[in-house]
Amino acid sequence: MIQFFHVYKAYPGDPPVLSDINLSVEKGEFVFLTGPSGAGKTTLLKLIFCAEKATKGQILVGGRNIARIRESAVPYLRRNIGVVFQDFKLLPHRTVEDNVSFTLDVLGVPRAEARDKVRRMLKLVGLEHKADSFPLRLSGGEQQRVVIARALVNDPTILLADEPTGNLDPALTVEIMDLLTQVNIRGTTVVVATHDATLLSRYQKRTVGLERGQIVSDEDGVKAARRMVV
Amino acid sequence: MSALAKTRYFWRSAAVGLKHSPFVHFIAVTTIAIALFSAGLARGSARVLDNLLASLGGEVEVTVYLAPELGQDEAHGVRARVEELSQGQVTLVPPDAALERLRTELGDLGEALSELPENPLPAALELRVPPEQRTPEALQALAKELRALPGVSGVDYGEQAVERLTAIARALRFGALVAFVVVLGATVVIVAATLQLAIYSRREEIEIQKLVGATDRFVKAPFLLEGLLQGLLGAGVALLGLWAFGRLVGPTLGSLFAFLLGPGVAAPWVEPRLVLELVGAGCGLGLGGSFVAVGRFLRV
Repeated sequence: MIQFFHVYKAYPGDPPVLSDINLSVEKGEFVFLTGPSGAGKTTLLKLIFCAEKATKGQILVGGRNIARIRESAVPYLRRNIGVVFQDFKLLPHRTVEDNVSFTLDVLGVPRAEARDKVRRMLKLVGLEHKADSFPLRLSGGEQQRVVIARALVNDPTILLADEPTGNLDPALTVEIMDLLTQVNIRGTTVVVATHDATLLSRYQKRTVGLERGQIVSDEDGVKAARRMVV
Repeated sequence: MSALAKTRYFWRSAAVGLKHSPFVHFIAVTTIAIALFSAGLARGSARVLDNLLASLGGEVEVTVYLAPELGQDEAHGVRARVEELSQGQVTLVPPDAALERLRTELGDLGEALSELPENPLPAALELRVPPEQRTPEALQALAKELRALPGVSGVDYGEQAVERLTAIARALRFGALVAFVVVLGATVVIVAATLQLAIYSRREEIEIQKLVGATDRFVKAPFLLEGLLQGLLGAGVALLGLWAFGRLVGPTLGSLFAFLLGPGVAAPWVEPRLVLELVGAGCGLGLGGSFVAVGRFLRV
């Protein structure tokens, strides 16, 4: 589903943010990207949804080489990728329903159909009763669930989450991670960037470790969890 | 994908945009309205100037002096020839009638003419030139032809006055055009700057749109519609202003300058053609401004 071949990313005048990244994520897999701040986790995610371009190397997403993708084709690629951010990126003046429906507006889905989809998605994330609320009236966990609903409402094949629990307390963190696990069980490939070691031991998923822009470990869930405990 | 759903979304989004930053849009609409109102006034003034020129042109009379030795029959012959060449209205003024007219014009001094041993004035033809020949070039060419006719001793048509008037009209038109272009350019810049503020306040929305897969065209469309709506509103306000100006100030101006302007001054300031022109210009200004403004906010 996602493949990196000798990928580099550097900004002029700075040391490379990513160096010689080789990575393969299968369809339907759940992968944690972990490492300290500045390790390159966010940049790696940005390369997948074309918010950044690789300096060198090839990246395949769904069999398509996005290192050579035309600017005009980027929106169509992004329609297959849901993205969840640590800072939510919700529109404060729009209701929960409108925020989730935003993705469908872009696709030109008729209003009635969009409404049905949004309601179903809000039910999935447990927020159907908050459809008419405004984001600032919600808790952090609820806001993040709205973001997940927005990311999933058009059934993307990949879900990228950048520190999705970074601003949440432990209880809400579990709530969000359980939701992402559910999404993965439904068939969506999920890549979560986090530096929270407790998540890795609790959820026991494949874990790719990054340090100073390089992959330093790639372990299955059990092994990674064991190492965390030790 | 539904084009109708997208179109609905664009209009809804444009309306939300107008509601979201009312002050910014008020400034843009006002700027467009002022520019179009000025353009409409200039257009109306140009029409008045045309009327003025036409009315002064109507007074342009070519006087063809006949040779003194010409008999009455020959004079009529020349008259027919002049009529044929000019396609205008020709009146033969015999020497006696010319002297009588001069006597009347001179008033008390006219008595002095009685002392003359003989009438010094030649017979003349007074020619009212048709409107299409009232340009300096046409008059010059006609005068040259008339001078070449046998039996004609001279031609006079107030050459300098006609040329000056036409030059003044040309200069005024050119000045108005330059001013109009400058005002339009300034308006596009102001509209673009105000729209940039409006777009800036919605940058988060644009960023999210781009992240969920919106194309550049999709992001731009509501802003272009906002510009279009601003242009339409601006044109509406300008037309309303011109209509009010025509109703309130027009009659006063007409009576003040009636001696100069003649017929046509009472014509309405807002005509169907002007409505079309100003609405078109308003849409162009709004679209142009939003097009300039929206480009730089699309990089995400």
